[in-house]
This record gives sequence, structure tokens and C-alpha cells, in this order.
Amino acid sequence: MTLIEWKDEFSVGVPSVDHEHRELVKLINDGFRNFQEKDSGFRVDDFLGEIFAKISSHFALEEKVMRNHKYDQIAEHKEDHERLLDDIRDMMDVYENQGYFNEKELADHLAAWFTGHFKKHDARLHGKLGL
Amino acid sequence: MKLFEVVESRFSTAFGESWNPFYNLGALSFFFFWIVAASGVYLYAFFDTSITSAYTSVESITNNHFYIGGIIRGLHRYASDAMVVTMTIHLFREFLMGRFRGARWFSWLTGVPLLWLVFASGINGYWLVWDQLAQYIAILTAEWFDWLPFFSAPMAQNFLNEASLSDRFFSLLAFLHIGIPLTLLLMMWVHIQRMAKAKSNPPRGLALGTLAALIILSIAKPAVSQAPANLDRAVTDVQLDWFFLNLYPLLDTVSPGDLWGLVGFITLLIAVVPWILPKGKYSIATVNLENCNGCERCFIDCPYDAVTMQPRTDGMSFSHEAVVRTNLCVGCGICVGACPTATPFRRQTQLVAGIELAEFPLKNLRNEVLQASETLSGTDRVMAFACSECGKDKLARQPGVAVVPLPCIAMLPPSFIDFVISKRLADGVFLTGCETANCYHRYGSQWTEERIEGKRDPQLRKRVPRERVARLWTSAVNGGRVQQEIKQFRSRLRDVGPMRDDYASMKQSLSFVSSETGGNIHDTD
Repeated sequence: MTLIEWKDEFSVGVPSVDHEHRELVKLINDGFRNFQEKDSGFRVDDFLGEIFAKISSHFALEEKVMRNHKYDQIAEHKEDHERLLDDIRDMMDVYENQGYFNEKELADHLAAWFTGHFKKHDARLHGKLGL
Repeated sequence: MKLFEVVESRFSTAFGESWNPFYNLGALSFFFFWIVAASGVYLYAFFDTSITSAYTSVESITNNHFYIGGIIRGLHRYASDAMVVTMTIHLFREFLMGRFRGARWFSWLTGVPLLWLVFASGINGYWLVWDQLAQYIAILTAEWFDWLPFFSAPMAQNFLNEASLSDRFFSLLAFLHIGIPLTLLLMMWVHIQRMAKAKSNPPRGLALGTLAALIILSIAKPAVSQAPANLDRAVTDVQLDWFFLNLYPLLDTVSPGDLWGLVGFITLLIAVVPWILPKGKYSIATVNLENCNGCERCFIDCPYDAVTMQPRTDGMSFSHEAVVRTNLCVGCGICVGACPTATPFRRQTQLVAGIELAEFPLKNLRNEVLQASETLSGTDRVMAFACSECGKDKLARQPGVAVVPLPCIAMLPPSFIDFVISKRLADGVFLTGCETANCYHRYGSQWTEERIEGKRDPQLRKRVPRERVARLWTSAVNGGRVQQEIKQFRSRLRDVGPMRDDYASMKQSLSFVSSETGGNIHDTD
């Protein structure tokens, strides 16, 4: 099963941002496959840690693009970024402290966040950048 | 150095930290320059550049301009004197605090000509008044310069009598008094080129207070001329301005050649400081392209303009990459603390940030944190991160507190704080660095504070319990205060209780985690 399906309409028209979107989807899907296949080298905390780092730097890049284009809704957009990072960190803590991790919940949460975030923020950004 | 710190911390108490004159010496020097320049424009408008009228025109400005002229003249003189004072203290201070090491040699070296230019401007200015003091300076300076083999005819000849001192020579002096200060301004600009966000304006309150003090001084003790110059009589008794003319009495006793030797030697000695004193160990930042997407955070935060953004070179679809100008990097690590990939939550083998200090990689920092944690026990365990410039002496070893030194506190990525607390490596995290307005690496304490407060990226995430994070920005002499703060922090930590309470409440906020027992539990270990 693929956790997140890439759709062309996810594109915001900035090559670097779109590239990272695809990389992120791939990272998540690959990790998820390793998890399902019970790959011996797979560790949930490492997987979450990498997702966390990659998403953090991706958001940093997206925020740079917004800043350089003087995008008017940086604050709202960024807040949504921080919300996802917070949620991933909480998942990491729950796993760390209670050994609990449910791939379905991660998948659903990421998918829900991504869809919502895309509709509300990235699409608007795309429009505003005029790309 | 200790003395400086003690005196400065008193001033911090009296003035408040950001108004502390010691932390604004460079900016104050700029401020004095502008006062001198503005008052100079006024004086120049009414000054007569002829040998016969110079003295009387200055007298007229001083006495007939409804007192405004007198005050302006006072400002012109006292602000110049003040500039010598701030410049000199600035020089000693940066020296004692070692702020010339490594790539900072540039600011140090470009400061040396400023000494000459400030003194030349001031001494040159005293000539224009053409009073007894001017005569004294003029003759001694001319004799001093005549020792140099540049001049075809001795300059001192000009001062043998009134007739030989031409108006043209005097006009030249007046123009020099514009040219030298303009050169000075240009060099002051060069001097701060390598400082990102250089402070060249003091805080408004400090500036206004200083200006008021100068005005009061100008009224209380007006700057006046001495008796008019008379080249037919030798000057026997003058009152020197010790700020500018401190070396002149020496010319009575030593030969011009010796004085050239002395000032030349002093200049050279100052100039070579960055190369003869131990450089200190530091490690240059390096970019790891596979972890850099060109987000600019390191570029924005570097206090030395050592990070630039350049077009991508590795064919990835990013537009830019960070590039370190190694000759500007002083190894503070602030860029590492700014990098979004610099998070200890990553897998150990993959923990390489987009930008790293070559000899102090994040992996090592993470290991240090883990090892330090093992030395701790109890419910008030503190992991202290300390700036090694000011923190060494402040944080005496004590049980229950592990100290992790950093080249600058802002090298610490905020997610390390999150890491320590969430992994329960300690019950609280204590950060200490230099006073914000006096940070060795300029913006380290300020950036860290802003990252914790969520005003600067990368931010410490909001859900990190703030009662478990304490920070103190203070100078190295305030060791007692640091100990006291740590003591209070630990007592607060004991009151808060052990960590698991935080997590019980946190888990309830997770909408997507069903229940404690529900769901599949996968433990891959």
C-alpha cells in the first residue's frame, strides 16, 4: 500500500518546493514500506526523526520562498507548518515513552494534514506567486 | 579584563544593559563623528580661511552668534574629545576581550588607520583657530614632519613669521580639515564592512543623553581660544588638550626621529596583534550539500556575513545553496543552530546538518549530551548549555548539573532543548551566554532568546514545557548569580515534579492517538 499518492495538482510551481514535496512523499512511502515488510534495519524512532528533519527543512525552504515573494499570509501558513511538526514530535514522544506507534494513524494524519494544508495554503500560495 | 567586566556590569545595572556605554563604544564613536561633522558644517560656514582673519572669525563665531556659535564650537571640540575616549576604550576593550581573533583580524586592522585619522583630524583642527596653542602645535608638527625626507623645503619655514605663512597654506589646512575627516568616515565604513548588522547608531536614549551632556558641558565650560598666535614671539605657556595632544610635550625632550620611531612602533604593535597573539582554536563551518536546500536561515543568522547564497552547483532542483566564505568565518556555530536539519532526533548515522563546524559536528554534540546525562540523577537534574567565551568560569562544577560548552550558545539548535526534555535526559535545560548587548559573537544570546520565544527560526516548539527551560544572559563575572539562578531553577523543577506528568497531559491532546492500550503496538527492538 502506498501511504500518500502524489497528485500533479499538488504542484505549487516552484521547482525546488515541488521537488521536495515529491522527495517527502517518497521518503514517507519508502519508510512505510520498510515498516510493513518488517525490515530488520527499520526503527520507528529513526523513521519519525528523519521525517521530522526533512519536513522541518522543507518548511524552512517554503517559508523562504514566501518571504522572498512577500507573501501576505506567511504567519497563517507557517502556523500550519508548526502544527504538523508539533504533531509529528508528539507522535515521536508517544512512541518513545509508550512504545506506541500506529502506521495507519500516521498515514491518515499526514494525508489529512497534507490535503487540508494544500487546499487552504499551498494552493493559495501557488495562485499568489503567479506561477 | 576582569576589571573591565566588573566596571561594565556596574554600568549595566546603572544604565540598563542595552544603554550600557561600554556596549556601544563603536556606535558612540560614530555618533560623536556625526556631531562633529554637523557642528563643523556650521563653523565652516562662518570660518575665514585667511591667516589674518582666522582667529577673529573664530572669536566672532564664539561670541557674536547669540551664543549658539559658542555651543556649536563647544560641541565640535568636546564631541571630538569624546570620540578619542570612546575609540581608545573600544580599542582596549576589543583587545582584552580577544575580539580580533581569526577572521575578525579585518576589523582590527582597519581600525588602526582610524587612530591616525582621528588624531590627524583633531590636531589639524587646532591649527585653524590660530591661537597660541595652534602656533605651538603648528611649529612642533612642522618640525616633526620635516624630519621625514619628503619635503623639498622645510615646512617649519612657513612659520618663521607672518609674512612667510601664506593664505594659501592656511586654506590648504582648512581643506585638509574636511578631507581627513571624510577619509576617516570612509575608513569607519570599511571598518564595519565585515560585521553583519553592525551597530553604528547608539540606542536613541543613550544618544540623546550623551548629546545633552555635551551641550551642558559646552555651556558650562565653553570652548575658547587662547591668545592669538604671534609668530614673532615664541610660545611659552599653553594649555594642552590632553585628548589629542598628549604626545606633543614629548617633542620638547625627544628628537622628531625618535618620536616617529615611537609612534611607528606603537602603530605596528597594534596592527600585528591578531597575528602575534595566540589565535585560539576554532573550527570553520562547512556546508553539506545533500542536507542543504537553500533555506537561507544560516545566511540570515550569521553575524559575520560569512555565509552567502550562491546558485546551485550540484544539479539538484534547488535554486541556491549556502556557501561559507572561510576567510570570514570565526567558527561560532550560529549557522548550525539555525539549520532546520540540525535536529538530534535524526538517526545517529544520518545526523549531518546542512551546515556544520568541521571539528565539532552535531553528532559529537549529541553524544556529549547523552554522556552528560548519564552523570545526572534525582528529580532536579539540569543540563546546562554554556557559551565557552563567558560561561567557563560562571558554571562551577556541581552534582546534578551537567555542563555542555559551546563556542556560542546560539550554536545550539532549539530542538536539542526539546530532545533533552522529551527524552528525559534531564529535568530541565539551563542556557547561559553573554549579556545580550555584549555578546562575544554579537548576536548569539539575542538569536537564542528569540528562537525560544518563537520570534526567530528555528523556533523552540511551543509544546516544550517552558517551566523546564531557564536561561541567563550575563557576563562572566556574575558567577554567583548563575549559581543562584541554577539553584532556584532546580527548586522550581522539584516543585514541578517528574516529567511523566507532562506527557500524560500531552497525550490527551493528541487527537490521532486512540487510547493507551488501543491500536497496534509495534516495538521493533
